[in-house]
Amino acid sequence: MALYNFKKIMVVPTAKEFIDITLSKTQRKTPTVIHKHYQIHRIRHFYMRKVKFTQQNYHDRLTQILTDFPKLDDIHPFYADLMNVLYDKDHYKLALGQINIAKNLIDNVAKDYVRLMKYGDSLYRCKQLKRAALGRMCTILKRQKSSLEYLEQVRQHLSRLPTIDPNTRTLLLCGYPNVGKSSFINKVTRADVDVQPYAFTTKSLFVGHMDYRYLRWQVVDTPGILDHPLEDRNTIEMQAITALAHLRAAVLYVMDVSEQCGHTLQEQLELFNNIRPLFANKPLIIVANKCDVKKITELSEENQKIFADLSVEGIPVIETSTLTEEGVMQVKTEACDRLLAHRVDTKMKGKKVHDVLNRLHLAMPTKRDEKERPPFIPEGALTRRKAMEVDAPKRKLERDLEMELGDDYILDLQKYWDLMNDDEKQDKIPEVWEGHNIADYIDPDIMKKLQELEKEEELKERAGEYDSDDESEDEEMQEIRVLAKQIREKKQLMVVESKEKDVHGPRMPRTATKVRARTLEKEMGNLGLDMNDKDGSHYAQQARRSRSIAKKRKREASAPPTSKTRSQSASLSIRGELTSNSQKGMNRQGKKGEADRHVFDLKPKHLLAGKRKSGTTDRR
Amino acid sequence: MPQNEHIELHRKRHGYRLDHHEKKRKKESREAHERSHKARKLIGLKAKLYHKQRHAEKIQMKKTIKMHEQRKTKQKNDDKTPEGAVPAYLLDREGQSRAKVLSNMIKQKRKEKAGKWEVPLPKVRAQGETEVLKVIRTGKRQKKAWKRMVTKVCFVGDGFTRKPPKYERFIRPMGLRFKKAHVTHPELKATFCLPILGVKKNPSSPLYTTLGVITKGTVIEVNVSELGLVTQGGKVVWGKYAQVTNNPENDGCINAVLLV
Repeated sequence: MALYNFKKIMVVPTAKEFIDITLSKTQRKTPTVIHKHYQIHRIRHFYMRKVKFTQQNYHDRLTQILTDFPKLDDIHPFYADLMNVLYDKDHYKLALGQINIAKNLIDNVAKDYVRLMKYGDSLYRCKQLKRAALGRMCTILKRQKSSLEYLEQVRQHLSRLPTIDPNTRTLLLCGYPNVGKSSFINKVTRADVDVQPYAFTTKSLFVGHMDYRYLRWQVVDTPGILDHPLEDRNTIEMQAITALAHLRAAVLYVMDVSEQCGHTLQEQLELFNNIRPLFANKPLIIVANKCDVKKITELSEENQKIFADLSVEGIPVIETSTLTEEGVMQVKTEACDRLLAHRVDTKMKGKKVHDVLNRLHLAMPTKRDEKERPPFIPEGALTRRKAMEVDAPKRKLERDLEMELGDDYILDLQKYWDLMNDDEKQDKIPEVWEGHNIADYIDPDIMKKLQELEKEEELKERAGEYDSDDESEDEEMQEIRVLAKQIREKKQLMVVESKEKDVHGPRMPRTATKVRARTLEKEMGNLGLDMNDKDGSHYAQQARRSRSIAKKRKREASAPPTSKTRSQSASLSIRGELTSNSQKGMNRQGKKGEADRHVFDLKPKHLLAGKRKSGTTDRR
Repeated sequence: MPQNEHIELHRKRHGYRLDHHEKKRKKESREAHERSHKARKLIGLKAKLYHKQRHAEKIQMKKTIKMHEQRKTKQKNDDKTPEGAVPAYLLDREGQSRAKVLSNMIKQKRKEKAGKWEVPLPKVRAQGETEVLKVIRTGKRQKKAWKRMVTKVCFVGDGFTRKPPKYERFIRPMGLRFKKAHVTHPELKATFCLPILGVKKNPSSPLYTTLGVITKGTVIEVNVSELGLVTQGGKVVWGKYAQVTNNPENDGCINAVLLV
């Protein structure tokens, strides 16, 4: 099952273009120089290559066309039917069949001529054979001109078809032309369908998407259907019929109560009864549109009876007006709910649901006592919910004001200010006055307030509020404070000392060199730390761990054969350093060591080979 | 999502860009400049193809212009005089328009007796032996050179079996054996793909005729039952002669003209 993407079908070139492209490609991408005096096998190969290259190109391009275009048996029956309605299945299949035949013929031609070329004994003969082969292939393609044109048109139309998912939640609108289906879809979704007063404004299916209950819904708008038998229907109406037949959707049959569409209610009811079989197994809702012009209650007796009959049968009839938007939301919610229920029912009746149901388990906690524990809803939420239900706007929103005034609207936030004099609200406020910054003097009592604050601060300080609390601290804290002070002093001393030290060369950080365990212990002891437990200390543990790893590594790696290395490493390990003194000096001065080996190319081939050798060339 | 005719819908609602028509007009007027630039600057094979195509276009244009011009003027119409019209001093003579009706069969019999055939290609270049037959060397030391391989297209009959390979002198490779020919009827101007029945005569040499070698000018016999020809006596004609008009070894196919 190949996955088709109608929008990604490759462009089908016209016959002339196709031939031009392929022949110029052959001329560009195969070798062009050949002479009479070459060996015959080379000449043959040269021309055979051209024939095969051309054949390959044609074959590839035609195969791509054949695979890109969808096979009507492989796609969803909705799309298969739609394509049949739009492009005529027979013509479509014939066109693709012709392309397939052309492909096979081209392959045969190439095979024959390559076989003949093996007997070519001169350049002229091979060239003529190649010319004949290419000419034949191009003639085959020239004959496919009409098929290719047709396929290009199909491709262009196909790529612009709306992507309707046949399996997801869908609402389908149907009815006579001009009843208000496109206005409905414009109101409910973001699809911008053309709405005009003449019939058959919508000439094909349109799809829009909307959200309800956190789910995505498709709304499909169809062209209007007139009331005549199936055989007489034209392409436009057949698209609507196809959608009705194949999409498992909730059907919204739209009727025009005011009869402004040009068809009486009786006619609309006739049509409804005629296409009733298409509504089997689908949730159905009658939408009585254009109720702002005429309500159902204003209709005559027999017309009202129509609607009454329909409601009696169990089909909800909802009055709407796409102009004033009354009832539109109601229709939407009703249709969506019904469709959801229907889909859930179908799924429950199916087989796949049992796998899921078997694994689901709703756990209810067991009651431990008889105490009632109802859910807690705070007061504020309840009142807000009530306010929402009442749907009374608390205050006039700016948005409403904007809608009212239209172009004259200006955003004026100053009217919300809380001033003593209301008529001062619109006054302009200067920024600087008499050399003083207004912002500093916003408060008239500001100097007084500052003085008061300062007085307060003084009092607080004197009362000792900002002094540290000595009594609250216990002995431990005091000790820590003493120690901390000592540490700080010592640190400062060390910094000063190190600055005075005369170091030749760059100053390395302390972590660059290794610190001996003894120096560490001495210093810590000086500072007063308890150095009795040397084995449990962190640095001892680390040392042990690193030693064990090093030992393991030594055992795994292959031991060098000479005894010298071992003794040397042993001696080095005793001293505790891994780089010898002499090497250190060399490293510091940047001299070449044992590992810095470069193999020079003293006799480069490109300078000494060929006619310009023997060292007369410096560079090439 | 842009659906169906969204471009036309957008045009209907918002109209064109403010400079759309200007731009379009100017682009169209620039076409002449671009064409001339292309004609001047193209080189190589593309230039040859382009010039050929353009030449054909120009001829057509000139013809239509001339046609338009001719309509506007009045010209002496030369072919108003009917056929058979004769000047005054010859009015008394009788026109010779006797038709001789002879049956086709008698005509053919006479021709055969004469041994002369009226063929579309009376003279063809004779193909020498070195051209048609290639020497094949055999033997332990590749010294023997008595075998020959045919390098031209040939026809072998249906029941043809090779002689034992050790003894066959003339090799006719399978790749060069053809069974069908594209035969054109000279009066109907239609071409049919007819099976070959045999090689009647090869103008270069009787050896080639016996071998069945088909070159340009060879007279072959083809199966014309497809055409549905019937003799005057009511018998169905199913074999006719045709003369080969192309070099089959260069074109990979045999094109012939029916000899009626």
